[in-house]
Amino acid sequence: MRREFDPVSLVAGLVIVVLGAVLMLDQGGDIEMSPGLLAAIFVAAFGLIMLVSGLLDSKQK
Amino acid sequence: MTQAQPQSTEATRLVRDPDDSIVAGVCAAVGRRLGIDPMIVRIGFVVCVIATSGFALLAYFAGWAWIPQAGGERGGKIEGKPAAEAKAERSRVPANWKVAGGVGLLTLSFLLVLRELGIWWSDALIWPLILATSGATLLWRQSRAMSPEPEEVARHPGMMSEPRGRHRAGIADLYRGGFGIALVVGAVLLFLASNDVLGETRDVVLTVIAATAGLALILAPFLWRLGRNLASERAERIRSQERAELAAHLHDSVLQTLTLMQKRADDPREVAQLARHQERELRAWLFEDERAPASESLARALETAAADVEDAHRVPINVVAVGDAPVDDRAEALVAAAREAMVNAAKFAPDAGEIAVYAELGPDGSQVFVRDRGPGFDPESIPPDRRGLRESIIGRMERFGGRAEVRSEAGRGTEVALTIGEPGS
Repeated sequence: MRREFDPVSLVAGLVIVVLGAVLMLDQGGDIEMSPGLLAAIFVAAFGLIMLVSGLLDSKQK
Repeated sequence: MTQAQPQSTEATRLVRDPDDSIVAGVCAAVGRRLGIDPMIVRIGFVVCVIATSGFALLAYFAGWAWIPQAGGERGGKIEGKPAAEAKAERSRVPANWKVAGGVGLLTLSFLLVLRELGIWWSDALIWPLILATSGATLLWRQSRAMSPEPEEVARHPGMMSEPRGRHRAGIADLYRGGFGIALVVGAVLLFLASNDVLGETRDVVLTVIAATAGLALILAPFLWRLGRNLASERAERIRSQERAELAAHLHDSVLQTLTLMQKRADDPREVAQLARHQERELRAWLFEDERAPASESLARALETAAADVEDAHRVPINVVAVGDAPVDDRAEALVAAAREAMVNAAKFAPDAGEIAVYAELGPDGSQVFVRDRGPGFDPESIPPDRRGLRESIIGRMERFGGRAEVRSEAGRGTEVALTIGEPGS
């Protein structure tokens, strides 16, 4: 069955891909991330997903 | 057998069930899918969260985002609503909570970045301050939710009447209240501990906190059930009150009118008039809140005028109004002229059946037709001293820039057409 386009999934997917890329670069030593900065990025990623989801929900309602 | 199939499929599919959830139903969904008691999955998840210093929460959020909610696939429809709207409606977490959570997390992230960059004052002050502000905001919101503003109730008329809505609101209040209090208390303790104010009492405070947390864990299921029962009881009480109010109103109005109609059964006109009066009264009671008052709506003003004439002369008047317009001086003149035409029809054609009033109303102009099936008359033959038609209808309309036309034919009834402005332009 074909699924309908879901913008929240798209944003969530992109954000998680970016998070993965950041973690890979950090592990590879290309960038230096402190644990505090990493935590800030994770928190921002989930905040962004929640915000997008909430805004879309309120728009659809 | 064939009917049981979808249910069993639903039971083994990875879907979140809103009726079996504590936060978003992710653990319950996984438990059902794997055939494990959801409570075991929840306990295991809490252990994972503690063991991974909170990182397991990310998996929970991911599950929340991707596991569809029960009651239809993603993009499914609810009672013919568009897929997007249906999905928004199925969502367990209200949109404003998501927005608030998102903004909160982004702010937290910004603060963490500032802290990392060294643009920071003091952990001992800023974190307690943020916690206290968040807790106070939640408590403030809860106090507003418990007694919603009249405008909010007007915007969501079902919010106080739907039992499910009330139940959910009760649980949301519980969440908000408990979480808000925990945040404020935590902020105060964090501030005191960070500034070494607690001193020797720190051990005592920690013991009290640990004991309270343990007690809360033990009592949580009972308190949870108690809260649900209280919410259900409150919903039932409100339903009973609504039923009692409805029964009282039906007794005072409909039943009394039916009794009166039985007593006056020998007078069909009075019976018809009583029935129409009761119908109007019942409609007004049922839909009063949804309609503009007669002082603001021309359609409503016409209906009120027709009801007055009907009550006074016991002649049925049927009003059909298309569109509406605000009530100004010209509209008031139109209503007064229409009322006079209805009175004339009721007086001179009392036995000719229903008087029909048809109105096309708009902001640029309005037109009202009053028709009866009476004996008719010759408008030219009206004596000059009879001022009803000449002054109250034709003269009044002309004074306000409108016009009135009287079409009547002997034996074929009368039609009075009243026009003001440019109707339909």
